[in-house]
Order: sequence, then structure tokens, then C-alpha cells
Amino acid sequence: MRLAFWLYEGTALHGISRITNSMKGVHTVYHAPQGDDYITATYSMLERTPDFPGLSISVVRGRDLAQGVSRLPGTLQQVAHHYSPDLTVIAPSCSTALLQEDLHQLAAHSGVPEEKLLVYALNPFRVSENEAADGLFVELVKRFAVAQEKTPGPSVNLLGFTSLGFHLRANLTSLRRMLQTLGISVNVIAPWGAGIEDLRKLPAAWLNIAPYREIGATAAGYLGETFGMPAIYEAPIGVEPTLAWLRSVIEQINAVGAERGVPPVSMPKLNAFSLDGMSAPSGVPWFARTADMESFSNKRAFVFGDATHTISIVKFLRDELGMKIIGAGTYMHRHADSVRKELEGYLPGELMVTDKFQDVSKVIEDEMPDLVCGTQMERHSCRKLDVPCMVICPPTHIENHLLGYYPFFGFDGADVIADRVYLSCKLGLEKHLIDFFGDAGLEYEDEASSSEGAPHASNGRDSAAAGSSAPSSPAHAATEGDGMIWTDEAENMLKKVPFFVRKKVRKNTENFAREQGEVSVTADVFRQAKESLGG
Amino acid sequence: MMQVPGEFPIIKEDNVTHSFCGLACVGWMYQKIKDSFFLILGTHTCAHFLQNALGMMIFAKPRFGIALIEEGDLAKQEPTLEEIIREIKADHNPSVIFLLSSCTPEVMKVDFKGLSHHLSTPDVPVLFVPASGLVYNFTQAEDSVLHALVPFCPEAPAGLKNVVFLGSVNDSTADDLRAEAEALGIPVGGFLPESRFDRMPAIGPDTVLAPIQPYLSRVAVKLERERGARTLHSLFPFGPDGTRVFWEDLAREFGITVDLRDREKAAWEKIRKQTELLGGKKVFLTADTMMELPLARFLKSAGADVVECSSAYINKKFLGRELEALAGVRVVEQPNFHRQLEDVERIQPDLIVTSLMTANPFAGHGFIVKWSMEFMLVPIHSWSGIISLANLFVSPLQRRSNLPAFDKEVWLEGVMPSAE
Repeated sequence: MRLAFWLYEGTALHGISRITNSMKGVHTVYHAPQGDDYITATYSMLERTPDFPGLSISVVRGRDLAQGVSRLPGTLQQVAHHYSPDLTVIAPSCSTALLQEDLHQLAAHSGVPEEKLLVYALNPFRVSENEAADGLFVELVKRFAVAQEKTPGPSVNLLGFTSLGFHLRANLTSLRRMLQTLGISVNVIAPWGAGIEDLRKLPAAWLNIAPYREIGATAAGYLGETFGMPAIYEAPIGVEPTLAWLRSVIEQINAVGAERGVPPVSMPKLNAFSLDGMSAPSGVPWFARTADMESFSNKRAFVFGDATHTISIVKFLRDELGMKIIGAGTYMHRHADSVRKELEGYLPGELMVTDKFQDVSKVIEDEMPDLVCGTQMERHSCRKLDVPCMVICPPTHIENHLLGYYPFFGFDGADVIADRVYLSCKLGLEKHLIDFFGDAGLEYEDEASSSEGAPHASNGRDSAAAGSSAPSSPAHAATEGDGMIWTDEAENMLKKVPFFVRKKVRKNTENFAREQGEVSVTADVFRQAKESLGG
Repeated sequence: MMQVPGEFPIIKEDNVTHSFCGLACVGWMYQKIKDSFFLILGTHTCAHFLQNALGMMIFAKPRFGIALIEEGDLAKQEPTLEEIIREIKADHNPSVIFLLSSCTPEVMKVDFKGLSHHLSTPDVPVLFVPASGLVYNFTQAEDSVLHALVPFCPEAPAGLKNVVFLGSVNDSTADDLRAEAEALGIPVGGFLPESRFDRMPAIGPDTVLAPIQPYLSRVAVKLERERGARTLHSLFPFGPDGTRVFWEDLAREFGITVDLRDREKAAWEKIRKQTELLGGKKVFLTADTMMELPLARFLKSAGADVVECSSAYINKKFLGRELEALAGVRVVEQPNFHRQLEDVERIQPDLIVTSLMTANPFAGHGFIVKWSMEFMLVPIHSWSGIISLANLFVSPLQRRSNLPAFDKEVWLEGVMPSAE
């Protein structure tokens, strides 16, 4: 038992619903107590779904338990009557999993034809969001995919694109544009927007593309074993990985094409991949060589996220922007080994593997990086510390679900990520100016004037204003905690340090003082610290 | 569907709704009681709910947390929370810790009473709050929190006659209510809850309990039984009509006769523009926060046509006056959402007041919606809340009429491929 506040991965039920909410004609019935369908709100609010997510709850009340009544058969009948889904997935919640009910038998009592039901009774105490989603997707593919003729022309399936995926729609658009440029058609995208019929025709494609390690890769593996379909698992994040990905797609497609006597696909001139078809497909290679970016070369970055994005972003920052990686980690225990392998030679130390955000926060506080790429939780921790942070993967907040075209995949994606890095970090020339002259005259808001003291809106209940609320709310609880005493003179000296490194300097100075056995920070100690720390 | 007998008929269905469990109350209760900590004994699901559905991730170090039951804990006889309690005390130094139950430990038959008793110290009591979705809906667990606070309300001596308001509101609303009561000559004993644990109001045989939230029937009954207090059965102080009746009835409890009809009239006058817009509009309230009955009653008084007022639970005594005022309106307890969907399509209401889960999908179906939860986040009590209350209903109607025409076929393409 441990005290938890925020968690990185969602529940198994959430993973299941991400698959089923992606799909046409598929409904989920949770055998669960009132409130477990809160998950519906994540879709209807974060994705702003204009229709009702296909999720119903078969309510379990305390009284039902006492009386030994199950409403599951009745709920299944209601769902069949009102929505006539092609398939209903039945799943237990954590509490009902303990009841050890026979969900198969209860489902059979509904009278709904067996082929329209799928009981997915995994152990919610053992399985989390991504594993559940990946597992259910494989189940569905196994159940419905059938051997068939290949499409006449070159085609691919895009697998693992799932409701609430990070920048999902923009990533899809980016991939589709590149495939279109190559003259390769998309056979099926799944689960996003796919129906049962689409799953059936998965084996018609020449090649599977499964860029997410978390969801979809296992299904691509199954399709490979069962139907001999080749697959590409790399994520095209960054310019060089995108080029490698394109070459790989062409190679694999041409291998299939050669057997079928179809003329090969060739790599077009790269400007064909640009938005207007007549420019460089990405600004990143030149951007990285500019004098402006030169000042980035000493920036220290820390990356924490799921497996797919942690790997890709570490490589992008180091290989394409020339930044310094001071550490990285993932909350995906299941994929930790593959992340370690991919990042061999990239990290100065061990890969951090944890699902406790406090641990990650501690590392950030100790290291005070110039840039953190993380989840919404790291953004949180960074806000407190005034460390620049950009969100690169789930868990997300409403502000990560924007309307514009901000892919992470492809050439367009490389531009988006580079822009975010640039905007997140303190800039180059500007930083020199501030370092040199202090912050006098620069109109930056001082940390002290943050929203901390601002009166709380409305009923004192504004916190509960669901995902909708402006996320810029208070998070500046700048507790100095074990802070040492500073003399006025030392404080004044500290004030001359640019404000955005002030916290870092304060902390480093106090550490220095402690090591020196000092009990307070005097002007002298401050000067010594500056000398010895090079600050 | 069945008809519940009684003077004012209620239709009762099977409770297939989209709403939250009792843990949702943590979202406002921890802010209300400022020296508290809310500890939920629960699972990953409970944590994920608080994190996502309530959008509370914006708080770095909240005064609530989850004692996470993991697989290895399932086999244990009783959960051991000592270490966690120690951690909470060290980090937050609370005056009181509320220990909330959730579904999994209830299925495990954890002895919460014994557990909280065992964890309590004279300095920092640990109070059991039943909140699980097996029994409690959304706001109902506030009732459980107040229930747990009763032993910490001092006994008021007989003869000390004053009012204690029941229900958590923010401090400025509380100040308004207090000032209003005093202006009418009603002595105020305080609020349950106050915003600090050590300042809970004294309650005794001559206390008049004035409920200001419509979901607190259990604590009222408990206080009647244990302290001999009297509960005011009136309308809830929402809208000009409810506010007038509430204050007149409360004053009467103290032998004070006031006639607030002019004040009510003036209040209606202040929101004339809003009521003109609401007049004749068909409004549908799905079940969510259990504030539905008083809201529907205000809408009815404002001239709207309430086509359905559904609520998760309806205590017929506690909400008796509201039910009376709603005579003629279709009132449903524990509604079935699938049926509601069909009725909504048939009736085509002008406004749907509904949960966070269902609002956008209704909007996608072409309806104008209002989040039911917003009525809990905006001060709408008494005279000072009337304009806000009216505006909450009116603003979505006005906003929509200001937006250009919308062609679903064009503007919704690709937003939710699973529904296309």
C-alpha cells in the first residue's frame, strides 16, 4: 500500500475504452459500480466527442450484491436494443473483478448472440491502460482478421492509432500525406475509425505500420506470424528517422511488389513532402545549423515519458538539435528494456524507470535542467521550479488537445517539436544579455507576483471545474522548505541574478553552504559558492 | 419503470445514468475544510477518476490522496495505513483526516469503522466517510462527510435557539447568508461545515437546521435524532421564489413574521430579461448533481417548460416542498439514460442540463446544453446569487443564437470517426 496522488497510466478499463471508443459499431459494457463510467468524460471532454461514446455501465449497487442480483444480462439487452452494436465488449471493474463472477455465463443469459459479445475479463490489479488496450486490440484482430487477396496496388495498415492518443489526428494526417506522396494507399486505420469489417480486411494490406510501442505493435506481430505480413515498428519522429522510415516503407513495399510483379515505388524529390510541394520538407536541418541554435548546444535536457516518445525525443534532441541529454526515464515498466536498448550510448547514467511522479520531480529539482520533455505531471513539477517544460506524451491535460495541425510524426512533426523546444527554453542571445546585464529593464513577471495570492474565483470550488478550467491555475507553491537563512546582503546579491535561474542559484548556494558546514548564507558564502560553482 | 406512490408522483427507473460516484465530493470538500486531509482507500480507478474527470491535476500538492490498493494488498486481512497516515501528518499537518471508502475495499469488507478508530489520535481524528459508488452518488458523500463531523459539533444547551446552515458553500456566500439572517433578526449559530475543523457549530435541541444544499438529508435526520434539533422544511434558497420562501419560513421558526414579497418581486424584475428568454423554453434535466429539483422549480417559476426533471435520489420528505412546487412536472428518480436519449430526440428540448460526460455529445446532436456541475461552482444561493443563477441558464441560449449556422456534415467530419 502506498500513498498516491497522480498516476501516469490509466486503468485497464480506460485502455479498453480507448480501443472501443475508437471503433465503429463497438460498445463496451462495464460491469461496475456507479461512477466507473467517469471515463466517458475523458472522451466527451478531451476529445470533445460530438456523439456519445459507446460505453454503458451495468450498475452494481451494494444492494444488488447483498441480494445476489446481477444486472448484466439486462444491460446487455438494453444496449442491443438501443444501439444494436456489431460487438459488445464486457469488462469488469476493479471491484467487481473481486466478486469472481462468471461473466461469460451472465453474458450468455442476456440472449444476445454469442458472436456479438466479447468478455474481456483481465485482472485490473495487474494490467494497466496500455497493456489492456494493446491486448484487447490483438484479441479483436485475432477474432476478425481473415486471409484474403492482397490489394492490387501497394497499401499499408496504420495500427495502434487510438482514441486519446497523443496528437493522434495530426500524426495520422502527417503519415497519410507522406504515403500519398509515395503513391501508397491506406488499407485500414485501426482501431481509430475502424469497424468490424475493417478488421476483417486487415490482411489485404502489403505492409503494417505500427509506430507506437505501447499499442498496436503486438497486433502487427500477430498479423506477421499468421498472415506473413511485414511490419515497420519505428516511429518517424525527427528528420533522420523520417527519412529512414520512408526508405524502409519503400523497401518493404517493393519487396512485396516484386513478388507480385508490380512496378517499384521510388523515393521522390524530397520537396514533394513539403506542404506546398516546392520547399524543403522540414526546417529543422538548417535551423539546427544556425548561429541561434548554436547557443542551444550547452542546454541540458531531461526526458521522461512513455516508451515511444522517450526514445524518439531523446534522439531528436541530441542527434538533430545537438542538445545535451542529462537523463531520461519512462513509466512504462513493460517496455523499459527496449527503451534501454534503444538509448544505449545516449544517456550519461541509468534509465530511470518509475511510476511515481514524485521521484521524477525530485530528479528535476536536483538537476534543474534547461529543458524537460515530459508528461503533464512533469510540467506540473517544472512549474513549481520554474524549469522550462514541454509535454511530449500522455498523461495529458485539455491543453494538449488542440485544434491546430501539430503532428509529432514526419517532417511536419520535426518542425513542430523543434518549435516547441525553442519556445520552451530560454532563448540564446536573450539569455546572454540577461546573464550579462541582469534582468533590469526586461519586462518579465517576477515569480513573486504569480497567481498564488490571487483570490479564488466563485464558490471556492473552482478546482472541480473539470478538464475545462484554464490550466494556468496556481501551481507556484514555491516552498523553500528546508531553506537556510540568508543575510540581507546575500539576498541582495541573489536579486541581481537573473530571475529565472534565481531558484537554481539559491538551491546550489545552499547546498554549497551546507557542504562547507555553514549555517547561513552570507555575502561571503555566496561569493565563494559563485566562484566554486562557476555561477 | 414504476410509479412511486405519494402525493406527488415520481417515476422510478433503473438508475442507468452517467454520473460520478461519491468520491467526487473530495473536489470541493477538501477546499472547504482548510485544515483537513482526504484519504481515499481505493484503487487505481479512484486515482484515475480524481485525476482526469475532475480536472484536478492542476494542483501540485493537494490535500487529498489515495492509499492505493495494489494486487498484493488484496490478500491482506486489514489494510495497514499507519505509514501513510504518518506521511500525511508530516507533509500536511492536518487537524483531521477523512478516510473515504470506495468500491473495492467495500467488496473486501474492510472494517472502516474499526480502521478509522484505530488510526485516530486525540490530536488528529481519522473519520470514516462512506463514499463508494456501490451506494453513493456524486454529491451524496458530502452528506457522509457532515455525518462524520457531527461528534465534533459541541452540544448546544437547551434554550440556545439559533440557526445552523447545513451545506458547504464558500466563505463569501456564507457571509451573505449570515448577514441576511441577522438582518431578519435570526440568530446564527454557524455552518456545518465551517471552514476549519475546530470551529464546527454547536448543535442542540433548540437548533434550527436550515439545509442550503438539497442532498444532505441523512445528516439532518441524524442531528434530529441525536441532538433533538429541528430541520427547516422549506424551499431551498435558489431563485427569487425559493429565496423568499426560505427566509420567510426560517424567520417563522424564530417567531418572526416577515413579508418578503416585494423583495421577491424586485428580484424577478432584476432578471426580467433572462426570464423573458426562458419563458416557454423546454428544459430537460438529466440526473447528475442532485441539485435538479430546486433548479427545475426555479425554471418553472421563471416560466420555462420543464419537460423532465430527473435526479439520482429523491428524499420525499427532505425535498417535499420542492416536489409540491413541481406539481405537474415529470419527475424521475434513478432515470434510465437510454430512455432519456430517446425522449430527448422526440421532445427536442431547447436546453439540456446534463453531466460533464454527456454535454458535448448532446451538443453534437444539435442541442443546447449546460453543465449541471457548473451550478455547484458558481455562487447561486439566496438574493445575491439570483442573477448568476438566471445567467447560467440563459447564457448558453444567448451564445448559441449569436453563433453562425452550423452544418454538421461539414464541421463534424473526422472529429469522431467511430460515430460516422
